[in-house]
Amino acid sequence: MSAGYQAVLWNRQKKRYDLTILAGILLYIGLFVGLGAALRPEATPETLIIRAFGTLALLMLHVILSVGPLARLDRRFLPLLYNRRHLGVSMFLCALVHGAFSMIQFHALGDVNPLVSLLAGNPQYASISAFPFQTLGFVALGILFLMAATSHDFWLANLSAPVWKALHMLVYVAYLLLVLHVALGILQTERNLVLIGLLVGGFGWIVTLHLVAGFREKPGDAPHRGDVIDGYLHACAVADIKDKRARIVCISGERVAIFRNGDTISAVSNACQHQNGPLGEGRIVDGCITCPWHGYQYEPETGASPPPFTEKIPTFNVRVVSGEVYVDPEPNPAGQRAEPAPIRGSS
Amino acid sequence: MLEQIALWFSYALVLYAAIGLLFAVAFVLVGVNRVDPAAPGSKPGFRVMILPGVAALWPLMLLRWAGGKQPPVERSAHRRGSAG
Repeated sequence: MSAGYQAVLWNRQKKRYDLTILAGILLYIGLFVGLGAALRPEATPETLIIRAFGTLALLMLHVILSVGPLARLDRRFLPLLYNRRHLGVSMFLCALVHGAFSMIQFHALGDVNPLVSLLAGNPQYASISAFPFQTLGFVALGILFLMAATSHDFWLANLSAPVWKALHMLVYVAYLLLVLHVALGILQTERNLVLIGLLVGGFGWIVTLHLVAGFREKPGDAPHRGDVIDGYLHACAVADIKDKRARIVCISGERVAIFRNGDTISAVSNACQHQNGPLGEGRIVDGCITCPWHGYQYEPETGASPPPFTEKIPTFNVRVVSGEVYVDPEPNPAGQRAEPAPIRGSS
Repeated sequence: MLEQIALWFSYALVLYAAIGLLFAVAFVLVGVNRVDPAAPGSKPGFRVMILPGVAALWPLMLLRWAGGKQPPVERSAHRRGSAG
């Protein structure tokens, strides 16, 4: 949370996450190069390194793209989401090693500008079978660099969460470019059916996962309809909300998280100020609404992060009448106190 | 023709990156303290970490610094719908 910036806000979970990533990378590279050298002794060390880091980066990108929808479908995947940015930066570094070695081996050893060699060495841009697939990888690497370079919370604050998220949606463009980069590369060099099968399978997995998660999400964005009493919209029954948890309804164009905190009800805008994480899927910990993505916290009655933190989200006035929750559809300014509605004694 | 385009692109990229790097050094040392109230007092590790992004997005950060602007406020439907 933003009481001041640090390079990395380390904690035990992040250290464990990063050590797991590092161990996975070392294991994969070791196995790939070791097995590659044994099974294909004609391959040079440079070729093995280029292919090891290239395939690893693509594999990691599949994991990264799977984590979001998997966490939407099953909360047990949330811990993978927690530190996904470190996984993304690690993936970029692997892709960079692949790109740098490829540039050196294939484009930097002649007397032509390496970038000119990369972009214009094969001029067959009008052909599908002979398309210069290296250009696709170069553009994808540029996108991945932009994402890794803007992964710090400073960029979230200085671009705002919606702009930052839109920028990072470019990962899907990078993914498509990389699928084409690999597919055309395989077609032009090896025509290996196993590799083509893995690529098609991976692409199918990502598309299917996103479609399933998207269909599961869609009903939550439908505008909520209910009885209106004194301008307050009926949202749900108190009994629908478990203690320290929330019920999410779509009011005034966005989702509202209605929390039950012991004997009171409070409502806040559902989007966390950090990365627009779904606050209503989190719970109240130590008296504060806690985002399930990265643990950002807000007081239920004010929508403000506890001092010294400065994040604020809009609140909503609520009433409880005969065990039913009613929400004022007009949001309060971010951080403005809205009196919690008592559950007991409501009439 | 294609080679000429690629050559000019490579020059433009190098020029953009060189200006970006020079600007980024000045920005992480001085500018960031002016545009983000959470930055003053932050350690060198943070400044090194944002340097590549500043070099990449230097026109944006230059405008922010020159205009003396603070971090933008998110404009979601609920924030627009509230009075503040």
